[in-house]
Amino acid sequence: MTSLGGSSSSSTEYTVRVPKNNSKKYSIMAFNSGDKVNCSTWTQARMERDMSNRRMYGGEETEEGAAGSEFGKKQREEARRKKFGIVTREFKVEDQPWILKINGKAGKRFKGQKKGGVTENASYYIFTQCPDGAFEAFPVNGWYNFVPQAKHRTLTAEEAEEEWGRRNKVVNHFSIMLQRRLREQERGPDDEDEEGEKGGKKKKKKKGARGGDLRIHDLEDDLELSSDESDSSREEGDNKPKKKESVAKGKGKKKKKKRGSDSEANEDSDDGDYEGLEVDYMSDESSSEEEAGEEKAKSNKEDGPKGIDEASDTEDESEEEKQNEEEGKEEEEEEEGKKTPVQMEKKKKRDSSGESDTSEDSDIDGEAASALFMVKKRTPPKRGGGRGSGGSSRTGSRPGTPSIDSASTSNTLRAAASKLEQGKRQVLGGSSDSPAAKRLKMEPGSTATTTQSPAPSGKSTPQPPSGKSTPSSSDVQLTEEAVRRYLIRKPMTTKDLLKKFQTKRTGLSSEQTVNVLAQILKRLNPERKNVNDKMHFYLTE
Amino acid sequence: MSEKGEVDLTGAKQNTGVWLVKVPKYLSQQWAKASGRGEVGKLRIGKNQGKAEVSFTLNEDLTMIDSLGDKPSGVRAPRDHPFTMQTVGGQTLAVFTETQSEPSKDKIALEGVVVQRAECRPAASDNYMKLKRLQIEELSKPLRLSQQLEKAVTTNYKPVANHYNNLEYERKKKEEGKRARADKQQVLDMLFSAFEKHQYYNIKDLVDITKQPVSYLKEILRDIGIYNIKGTHKNTWELKPEYRHYQGEEEAKEADD
Repeated sequence: MTSLGGSSSSSTEYTVRVPKNNSKKYSIMAFNSGDKVNCSTWTQARMERDMSNRRMYGGEETEEGAAGSEFGKKQREEARRKKFGIVTREFKVEDQPWILKINGKAGKRFKGQKKGGVTENASYYIFTQCPDGAFEAFPVNGWYNFVPQAKHRTLTAEEAEEEWGRRNKVVNHFSIMLQRRLREQERGPDDEDEEGEKGGKKKKKKKGARGGDLRIHDLEDDLELSSDESDSSREEGDNKPKKKESVAKGKGKKKKKKRGSDSEANEDSDDGDYEGLEVDYMSDESSSEEEAGEEKAKSNKEDGPKGIDEASDTEDESEEEKQNEEEGKEEEEEEEGKKTPVQMEKKKKRDSSGESDTSEDSDIDGEAASALFMVKKRTPPKRGGGRGSGGSSRTGSRPGTPSIDSASTSNTLRAAASKLEQGKRQVLGGSSDSPAAKRLKMEPGSTATTTQSPAPSGKSTPQPPSGKSTPSSSDVQLTEEAVRRYLIRKPMTTKDLLKKFQTKRTGLSSEQTVNVLAQILKRLNPERKNVNDKMHFYLTE
Repeated sequence: MSEKGEVDLTGAKQNTGVWLVKVPKYLSQQWAKASGRGEVGKLRIGKNQGKAEVSFTLNEDLTMIDSLGDKPSGVRAPRDHPFTMQTVGGQTLAVFTETQSEPSKDKIALEGVVVQRAECRPAASDNYMKLKRLQIEELSKPLRLSQQLEKAVTTNYKPVANHYNNLEYERKKKEEGKRARADKQQVLDMLFSAFEKHQYYNIKDLVDITKQPVSYLKEILRDIGIYNIKGTHKNTWELKPEYRHYQGEEEAKEADD
């Protein structure tokens, strides 16, 4: 060691040695400063490689030799993998993470992951000062980042997701782990003893809580109840989820259809669109989608301009149908001929009114409805002139199957509607097709121009009074007030209005409905607006 | 095994302080060439008006750089390397070593804690620039190179019938000929011993093993085995349950022919 004198600086010189023969391999152990690790406080430490990844690479050997094995299976697997280009990385022991345990079992645990890319472009050296004053430099072989491992119990991913869903309801967060521990307790009583930081607290809480379980867990009970409810309701409503699904599907499809039809006339798009849609009672398929498709195809043949009523009718009914998929409506196949038009209509109806209605579908007494349907083996009930979009509560609310003669009603309704329109403006291109007709891409030719604009008008918006389940009682009376309300809220076509006031609900026949509605409209004298080539009425007040 | 994993904590207890120094690649290469006791240079630590200045000077004899390729490089490594000192801020760095004195006996020891981090930088000099340029040139060479050949390659031109293949083919044919039907008992023995090793066999593999014509083999197999479509792609043969004698199986009956 030589010391050089300098003017204002003093420096000392040390020799640097890089020892050649090194059996020792140096590595860096990096801790996060937040963990406040002080190596000097460690009394005892154990460190081993974490071999838990070995099986991933080694592969699971099902059975070796004798029973269950195939001759040459390994080679074949190997060849297969090569053929597909699957490259399995080797299991290198040096790259495996370390498990470091401080102060025995009760102490901290760390897991050290190897940091890649350390020795690629630059080398790290450890400079140690030797007793003789010289420095010795050792190259660093690997860098491991050590992170502390949690010893307290944590939730698994699924549990975490569950809790996340309930986060708004749960107030007592301590009990979350408590519950989990109780669950585990059933399997093994040992778990209780191992506790993390909150261990003591939780134990006490547990014991105290047990006594005060009732107290603390009021919310919990409610929560559980709620979940139970949902569970049970899920079970009960066999139909419901499926209905909802089908409804959702239907909705999606309807939307698709709508879009398609809106942009072009009768775009014959995906056949799959129709699959989920429920055809109607007539077609025997309750839940088979293909048949639904077929039926619709059949219905296609029917002439399109059956009129609003029929269209609405079908839709309504079809909506119900969908909901009652599970219940297995019995369709009268014999009357398929008749039914096909009805189906069409139903579908149309369903399509148009479906969205809002069916979505809000809640407690439809599916079984009752199915029973009804089964009993009434006859022409599929047609909604009276596609009244209202009270589809949701259809099965329940409709007292018995509506028996409306589609043909006649449609004519009447259509006539009425057209009269209305004529009275005010030019007649819009003829046959009001069901809104669905537009959507039903399967009926390109049949359904003429769809005069109604679908969804945007009332359908998408769930109409609370009519839409929500509640059965039987006709909540909607065909009054001027009601019509005014609707028209103020949003522009509607005649068809929409008619749908709003379904015959079942109002107790009027379709003819009457039409007449009354016409009168009301005359009285109200609403503004007219042409949307999508359809005449919409609206009021501004 | 109790020793394995035990960490020697002497270094930590003594709180040995070490420096972690980042060193450029070329310098570490030069250091690897050191001879004797491994002296590579001198480290000068000075205090210049309150600031610590550390600099490393490479030994003269280690400045020769070998370069890949043909020409001996006229480049010399720079000698002066000032150190940039840094703090060990957000991390606690400890150094541990693994010693493999004997096979499968890893001794892990904690050597110390890093108290200072530094970066070894070469002092900018002509030498260094030349060195860098050399490095860049070497790196910029593409790994693959297309070369134009003057003559077409004829060395591995294959004749009509591949010699190697041909020979092999003839040899195989000579050796095996048509597979002769051996004695049924012998074949059965062969089959049973084969099935002792594995449970499922492909017909091709069995043909290989027994060297019997396929139809004959199939006859025999039909007697003692079943052909199952296991649900995996290959359809495999296995012994009939009554002939099986595997460990996990209840039925145990040796076949008698």
